[in-house]
Amino acid sequence: MQRSGLRCPGCGSSNIVNDDLYCHVQLVCVDCGTVVSEGSLADDPVGGSDVSYSRSTAVTKVPCQNLKKGLSRVKEMCRVIRVRRNIEDLALSYFQQAYEHENFIRVNLTKKEVLAGCCVLVSCRQMNWPITIGTISCLLNADPALVGGVYKDLLKILKLEALTVGIIEVLEAHCQEYKINSDQVPEELAEDCTVLTKRAKALVELAADSWIVTGRKPLPMLMAATYLAWQSLKPNKHRLKLSLDKFCRLAKVQKSQSALTRITELKEVLCKLGREIPWVRETVTPDSVIRLVGDILENRFALLRRALRNHEDSLQAENVVNSPNKETASSKPQELTENPPAEDRGHQGQESESNWGKRVLFAPPCVINRKRRRTEQPELIVTGDEEISDSEIDSYIRSPQEVRDLVQAEKMLVSSDKV
Amino acid sequence: MDDLALERYFDDSIANDSSCPLEEELAHQAAPQQVPSPSPPQLPETSGPGGKVRDVLDFSFLPDELNPQDDRSSKTAAAAESQAAALDVSHDSGIVQDSSAANLQQDVLSLGLGRGASPFCPMTPMTPMTPMTPVTEKSGIIPQLHEEQSRLAARKYARVVQKLGFPARFLDFKVQNMVASCDVCFPIRLEGLVLTHQQFSSYEPELFPGLIYRMVKPRIVLLIFVSGKVVLTGAKERAEIYEAFENIYPILKGFRKQ
Repeated sequence: MQRSGLRCPGCGSSNIVNDDLYCHVQLVCVDCGTVVSEGSLADDPVGGSDVSYSRSTAVTKVPCQNLKKGLSRVKEMCRVIRVRRNIEDLALSYFQQAYEHENFIRVNLTKKEVLAGCCVLVSCRQMNWPITIGTISCLLNADPALVGGVYKDLLKILKLEALTVGIIEVLEAHCQEYKINSDQVPEELAEDCTVLTKRAKALVELAADSWIVTGRKPLPMLMAATYLAWQSLKPNKHRLKLSLDKFCRLAKVQKSQSALTRITELKEVLCKLGREIPWVRETVTPDSVIRLVGDILENRFALLRRALRNHEDSLQAENVVNSPNKETASSKPQELTENPPAEDRGHQGQESESNWGKRVLFAPPCVINRKRRRTEQPELIVTGDEEISDSEIDSYIRSPQEVRDLVQAEKMLVSSDKV
Repeated sequence: MDDLALERYFDDSIANDSSCPLEEELAHQAAPQQVPSPSPPQLPETSGPGGKVRDVLDFSFLPDELNPQDDRSSKTAAAAESQAAALDVSHDSGIVQDSSAANLQQDVLSLGLGRGASPFCPMTPMTPMTPMTPVTEKSGIIPQLHEEQSRLAARKYARVVQKLGFPARFLDFKVQNMVASCDVCFPIRLEGLVLTHQQFSSYEPELFPGLIYRMVKPRIVLLIFVSGKVVLTGAKERAEIYEAFENIYPILKGFRKQ
């Protein structure tokens, strides 16, 4: 059969026929006998086709391995925390989008895993599923600061807005972690989960009203509330004796260090309210207040109102007492030199005014325990054009002897580190 | 080279490079100055007779209404309600970015507290930092004090660099960022604020105890804390800080719990 379009390289004739040698396909020039091509397919150009690797193996672009791993990690995490299906899908789509972004494509594997966790976090937040960053960092076994950073980046890159999660919503999930059912622990220490959650919720609400919750990490607060709720539900000697540490070990929950301070703060608030209960005769101390917690929580709004009113009344009484004193004090400076008493008065006024926290009943603890500067900083009045003396400039530059000493000291430090 | 000659070298380079400064405010002398004493003058330098005995300096970066000599007369107080504590200024000189040499840079001007507010007024009046506020006999505050302090610090730093042997010149001092802090003296419900101003605020108690509020006009970032302390940053000028505070204060008052 004549093949049109081909020319023999030897003689240039176009008289080329298909001359097969058994199953070996050959194209042979009739005139000079050169084999033009062997084994080539009908439509291929002479000399073999230029086909690139990716085209020849008929490959579609597969997703890269890490992307696949990341997606499966997202799925795993969603299954572990048992979220709804739509949250899982949303998280997967976010991961797909974010993975390709330049901020996340060339980072190390830890960060990619953290990214997977953050995608889960974002989708939970958007669907109002309560979950904390602490939980995600536990799942990932990663540093919460790193998780936080990646989370912020993710929000910026995907231009999302995620609501802050309220502490009350996380409370229920938190309380379910505590293994203190009647089949797990002895009877006097056991507690039903729903009852515990209810009381802990009331405690957290009270804490939020008295400024203990805002600005703080939620987990220690939840732990403190759960512990106090558990103690107060059956304030027998077994429960009261059990410290937070032992309680966490009993319930198989990891203790958080700042929960102790939260417990103290919460007990103080409860004491303040406990003092307002009309039928309580003995003094209310942080130890004895546990037994009263039930009553306090039931009537907490009324007790709060009473406490605030009584506090205001006592402040008014104080001011009435104080103002005659202030009047006599102010007449003195006219006799003495002006500056010291004026400073004194100003100083005291400064103290009581700058710490408004000491005058109200409930205030954020950071205000009550305000740190004061030990030394007053001098007020420098400069115009920016003063002369700068040479010796002052010299004092900023190290002398050669100091440089030598420093180099020696550094060498010693380095060698001692190595040892 | 003695002190003054070095200063003159610096200042000459500024004078030659920049446009004509506010000559009417300065007594400038081209001739070599009389140095009163060999000992170096201590800071703060009390103002000499009339203007400074200095060559022409570049004041083009300062706003027009600045009158460092005349502004000691008392004027009516700006009756804002909170207690402004400090204004830190960071800047960029023509030489280097970070002026760590002068400890003036870090000085916080803790402005007058306890100035006669009534016991029932929860907040002290705002301490003067604007040109319209009175100058007390105690503090004698000059407006824009911190900008001047940072400029002095930058000059010192430039001198240090020059002393170390680099060909340094002090050009185009410009304030790049201003940070201010103040206290509204009442606690703030951050959870409520993040719910109502969701598009501007970001509050993650697990990461940072304060709420980050990104104000759009003026473009300032405010860090708001539960104690009532507010940090404002990202301003190029003093007026932006004041404007941002005027905007945020009514919002915060709305979240004050009685």
